[in-house]
Amino acid sequence: MPATRTVTSDPARTADRVLLAATRHSAGHAAAILVCSLASAAAALAEPAVLGHTLDLLLAGDARAPRWAALCAVLITADLLLDAAVAQLTGVANARTTAWLRTRSLDRLLRAAPHHAARFAPGDLATRLTANATEAGTVPATAAAAVASVLPPLGALVALFLIDWRTAAAFLAGVPLLWLLLRAFAAHSSDSVARYQAAQARIADRLVEALTGAGTVAAAGTAARERRRVLAPLPELAEEGRRMWRVYGSAVARSGVLLPTLVCLVLAVGGLRLAAGAIGVGDLLAVSRYAALAAGVGAVAGLLGALVRGRSAARRTAEPLTLPPLAHGDGGLPPDGPGTLELRGVTVVRDGSPVLRDVDVVLPGGSRVAVVGRSGAGKSVFAAVAGRLTDPDEGRVLLDGVPLDAVDERTLRREVGYAFARPALFGATVAQALAFGAYAPAGPAVRAAARAAGADGFVQRLPGGYDTPLARAPLSGGELQRLGLARAFAHAGRLLVLDDATSSLDTVTEREVERALARDVRPGTRLVVAHRLSSASRADLVVWLDGGRVRAVGPHPVLWEDPAYRAVFAAAPPPDAPAPGGGAARGPASGGSAR
Amino acid sequence: MSDRRTTHRVLPQARRFLRGRKRDLLVLAGWSLLESAHTFLTGYGVARALDDGFLAGRIGTGLLWLAVAALSAPLGGVAVRGVFGGLAGLVEPLRDGLVRRAVSQALASAVSSPARPDAAAADSAAVSRLVHQTEMARDSFAGLVLTTRSFLFTAFGALLGMATLAPALLLVVLPPLVLGLGLFLATLAPMATVQRAFLDTDEALSGRVGEVGAGLRDVVACGAVRTVAEDVGRLVTAEERLARRLARWAGVRTLALGAAGRLPVVALVAATPWLLDGGVTAGALLGALTYLVQSLLPALHALMSALGAAGTRLLVVLDRFGTSTPPLPGDDPVTPPAAPEDPGAAPPPTPRRPGPGAAPGRAAVELRGLTFSYGPRARPVVDALDLVVEPGEHLAVVGPSGIGKSTLLALLAGLLTPVGGTALVDGAPARPAGRPGPDPRRALLPQRAHVFSGTVRENLCYLRPDATPAEVEETVEALRLGPLVRRLGGPDAAVDPRGLSQGERQHLALGRAHLSHAPLLLLDEATCHLDPETEERAERTLAARPGTLIVVAHRLSSAVRADRVLVLDGTRAACAAHEALLGTSALYRDLVGASPA
Repeated sequence: MPATRTVTSDPARTADRVLLAATRHSAGHAAAILVCSLASAAAALAEPAVLGHTLDLLLAGDARAPRWAALCAVLITADLLLDAAVAQLTGVANARTTAWLRTRSLDRLLRAAPHHAARFAPGDLATRLTANATEAGTVPATAAAAVASVLPPLGALVALFLIDWRTAAAFLAGVPLLWLLLRAFAAHSSDSVARYQAAQARIADRLVEALTGAGTVAAAGTAARERRRVLAPLPELAEEGRRMWRVYGSAVARSGVLLPTLVCLVLAVGGLRLAAGAIGVGDLLAVSRYAALAAGVGAVAGLLGALVRGRSAARRTAEPLTLPPLAHGDGGLPPDGPGTLELRGVTVVRDGSPVLRDVDVVLPGGSRVAVVGRSGAGKSVFAAVAGRLTDPDEGRVLLDGVPLDAVDERTLRREVGYAFARPALFGATVAQALAFGAYAPAGPAVRAAARAAGADGFVQRLPGGYDTPLARAPLSGGELQRLGLARAFAHAGRLLVLDDATSSLDTVTEREVERALARDVRPGTRLVVAHRLSSASRADLVVWLDGGRVRAVGPHPVLWEDPAYRAVFAAAPPPDAPAPGGGAARGPASGGSAR
Repeated sequence: MSDRRTTHRVLPQARRFLRGRKRDLLVLAGWSLLESAHTFLTGYGVARALDDGFLAGRIGTGLLWLAVAALSAPLGGVAVRGVFGGLAGLVEPLRDGLVRRAVSQALASAVSSPARPDAAAADSAAVSRLVHQTEMARDSFAGLVLTTRSFLFTAFGALLGMATLAPALLLVVLPPLVLGLGLFLATLAPMATVQRAFLDTDEALSGRVGEVGAGLRDVVACGAVRTVAEDVGRLVTAEERLARRLARWAGVRTLALGAAGRLPVVALVAATPWLLDGGVTAGALLGALTYLVQSLLPALHALMSALGAAGTRLLVVLDRFGTSTPPLPGDDPVTPPAAPEDPGAAPPPTPRRPGPGAAPGRAAVELRGLTFSYGPRARPVVDALDLVVEPGEHLAVVGPSGIGKSTLLALLAGLLTPVGGTALVDGAPARPAGRPGPDPRRALLPQRAHVFSGTVRENLCYLRPDATPAEVEETVEALRLGPLVRRLGGPDAAVDPRGLSQGERQHLALGRAHLSHAPLLLLDEATCHLDPETEERAERTLAARPGTLIVVAHRLSSAVRADRVLVLDGTRAACAAHEALLGTSALYRDLVGASPA
C-alpha cells in the first residue's frame, strides 16, 4: 500500500502547466489568430501611407491615382476582413480552451478521494469552473493578440521617422506628458474604489448577519427594521459611487484631451514641413494617422493586464488538478464471495494526526456489524476506508481476500454500497435519484428498494409519485435519509455501509427498515455506524472504537458487561456540545442534522 | 421568444425610471452637445488650417487653425467631465434601487422560510446578487449610456462638420455608414438571443457544478463518476457550442461596424476626383478623413464592445431582480398584532408585564387536532396533535431530530399556518390574520442566535427596544452575562458578531428573551452551544420568570427539569411528567438511554 499521500503540488506551477497544455490544445487557433492579427496590423500600418500617397496623386491629378485608390480599397477591405476573422477565431479559441479546462478540472475532481475534494466549497467550485474558467480560457487568444499588438505603435513611430523625423520627435516629446497625467489618475481612482467596496462589503456583511438570524427575525417580526439596518450604509455607497464617476470622468477627460493634443502637436510640425514644401498633403494625413496609432500603445498594457488576470483565474480553475487521484486497479472480486472484509493494520491520518490507528479486524461475510464509539472516535473514517472512499495511509483493506485498490472501479462500486446521514440526491426525478449509481436498476427493483427503506409511502404521496421532480419534492431530514437508503438498497452488493444512515428515523421506522433490509435486500455484509443503543444491540458483532483505536470487538451482550462500553451510549453528545451530566443522554439524534 | 418577454418585463420599469430622471438626462444631453462641438472643431480646424494656412502659404493662419483644433480638446475634456456628472445621476440611483431590492428580496425569502434546508446556498446567492449582479448592472448600464450617447453625438458633430465643409461629402460618406450601422443593428436581436441562451447555460452549469461539489462523496460512493462527468460534460459542450455561435456573430458584428467605419474612407478616396471637380478643397478632404478616422472609428469601436455583451447582460440581470420590491413583515408599524378573527375569541391582551395567568382561566397554549405538512401531499409533520399548556407551566419537547419539534414551535409562534386544526395562544389564533409583524404574546429563540453589528445594549433590547438601563442591568445579573458584557466593553460597546462563539451568541440571545415581556417563551434548542451548567441556570432563570416556557430540549437534562415532557415520535405523541414517561414510552426510554430490553 502506498504511504502518506499529501496535496503538495504548487497551484501556480500547475496552472502554468495547464495553460501551456491548453494553448497546445488550441494551438491551431492561436496561431491563426496570431497570423491574422499580424496581417491586420501590417495592413493598418500600410494604410495611412498608401492613403496619403493616393490623396497626393489624386490632388495632383496623376494617372496612377486609380491604381493606388484600388490598392487603398484592397488594404482597407483586407483589414476589415482580418479583423472579423480575428474576432471569430478569438471567440472559438476561448470557447475551446474554456471547455477543455472545465472538463479536465471536473474530471480530476470526480476522480479524487472525496475527503480531499471536499476542501472546495460547492459555491466556490461553481465559480472556479464557470467564471474563472471563462477568464482563464481567454489566455491563448489574448497572448496571440498581445504579441501582435506591439506592432502598430512601434511601426507607426518608425513610419513617423520615415516621413519626417521632426514629426516623430514632436510625438516623443509629448509622450512624458501623457504618462504623468495617467499616473495622477491611478492613485485617486483606487482610493475611491476601495472606499466604495468597503461600503458595499458593510452592506453585504449586515445582510448576511440578518439572513443568518432569519429565524429570530421571522419570529420577532422585525424584517423591516433589519432592512433599515442593512441599508444604513447605502447613502455612503451612493456618495462614493458618485465620487468614483467624477474621478473616472476626469481621467477619461484627461486622456481625451491628451490624444487630440498630441496629434495636433505632431500635425503642427507636419504643417510647418508642408508649408516648407518638404512633405505633401497626403503625408500630413499619414502623419496624423500614425501619431494616433503610436499613441495606441495603451492597448498593449490592457492586453498584458488581461493576461495577468487570466493567469490568476487559471490558477483557481486548475487547483482541483493538484488533488491526488484515487487510482483503481483492474482486478475483479471472486464471484459469489460472501463479502468478508478485513482491515489489516489500517492507519488513517487527517491534518497530520492519526484518526484511525492500527486497526486490525475481520468482519465475517454476511454478518451485521455495528461500529460504535463516542463522537470523534473515528467511526465515519472507518466506514470510509471500509469501502474505499479513502485510502489508508498505512495497512490494507481486503474484500473477500482482494485488496480494494486492486479492484477495478466498476466492480468495486457495484459490490460496495453506501448510505449516509445526509445523502445528496442526483437526478431529475425521485425515481432517477433512486436509480442513480454504477448501473440503473429497473423500475420494479427501485420500488422494492424504496419499500424496504420505508420510502414508498411518502413517495407515493408526492404530487407525481416517483416521477415528481426532486426540486419540487418537499423532504424532511428523515425522508431524505430513507431515499438515500433506498438508493443504496437498489444497488446493494456484497458489502453495504450505513454511515449513520438512520439517525433521523424514529425508532419504529428504523426497526422496520432493519427487518426489510434483512429480508428483502440482496444479502451481504452490513457495516452500520450507529449512535443508537438499539442498533448495536441487534448487531451480530460490535466494533468498539475509542480514540481511533479498536477498543474491543465482540457481541453486544458481552461488551455490555463493561461499564466503559455502557458509557458510550450514556453520553454520546453531538460533536459541538460537552457531555451532559446525570446520565442524561442524547439518543437517536446525532449531530446537528436536519431541522 | 424569451428575450422579447424579458424586454416586455423590463421596459416599463426602465421608462418609469427614466421619466423620474429628466433633469439628469438633460444634463447629459447638454454636455454631450458640447462634445459634438469638440468633434466638429477637430475636423474643421484641420481643414481650414490646410486651405487657409499651409496650402495658401500663410503659416501663421495655419497654426492658428490647428491651435483652434487643439484647443477644442480641453473643451471636449470639460464636456466629458460634465457627461460623467450626468451619468452618475442616472447610474447611482439605479444601483441604489437594485441594492434595496436585493436586500428586501433576500430578507423576504429568508423570513418566509427560516428553516430552509439550503440556507447557506441561498445566502451566498443573495450576497452575489447584492454585490456582483448590482455591480454588473451598474457597469453595463453606464457603459451602454456612455458609448451610445458618445457615438450619437460624435456622429452628429462629424456629420455637421462635413456638411459645413462641403455638403457633397455627406453624399459620399453617408451611404456606407448607414449600411454598416443597419447591418450592425440587424445583428443585435439574434445575437442577444444567443447571448441569453449562453448566460442561461452558464448558470445551469454553475448550479450543476455546485450540486456535484456538494455531493462528491455520494457520486464516488455510488460509482456514478462517469455518469456525472458525462452529464456535466453535456452542459460544458452545450455552452461551448453557444460560445462558438457567439463567436460567429462577433465576426459578423465586427464586419458590420468595420464597414460603417472604414468603407466611407474607401468611398471618399474613390469619389475624390469627382469631389475635386465639384470644387471640394484638399483641406475639406483631409478634414473629412480626420472626422472618419479620428472621431467616428473610435466611437464605433467603443459602441461595439459595449452594446453586444453589456446590453444583453443588463437585460438579464435586471430581469432577475424582478418587477417589484416585496413588502416585509413589520413594514406597517400600525398593523394590529393579532386581529381577533372570530367574535368568540377575545382580543389578545398586550400585557406590560407577564403574569402567571395572563388571562385567568385561559390556557397559555391550546392545540386542537393541530396538523401541518410541508407540501399539499407530503406526509404531515405534526398530525392531529392535542395539547394544553397551562399559564406558568414549563414544558420540554423531545424526539428524534427531523421529527417536527422546530415545526411545532414555529406553529406556536405563528410562523407557519396549520394545515388542519387550531393553535391558540392565550385564547387567540397563534397566527394572526393580516401581514405578520411583531407579536407581543410570544418570543421565540431559534437555535441560531442572531447577533448583529450594533451595541451590546441594542442586541439585548432586540425584543424590547424600550427597556430601561436598570432592566438591562437586572437581566445581565440574572443570567450571569456580566463577564461576557464586560469582555465586549460594556453595554454600549459595539459587538462584532464574528468575534463571538456560538455559545456566547446564544447567551446574549437568552438575555433578549429574559427582557421580553412576552407571556409565552419558546426556546428551540436555544441553549445547545452552552455548557450544561450555564444552560441549567439559564433555563431555571427563564422558568422562574412569570409566564410559560416551552423548550425543545437539546439534552435530556432539560427534560428532567421541566414540569412535563412532550415526546414526539413520528405521528404519535405522548405528554406527561418525566417519571411517568419512563414507564409508558419506549421511545423516551430509548432517548434517555435506559438499559436495553
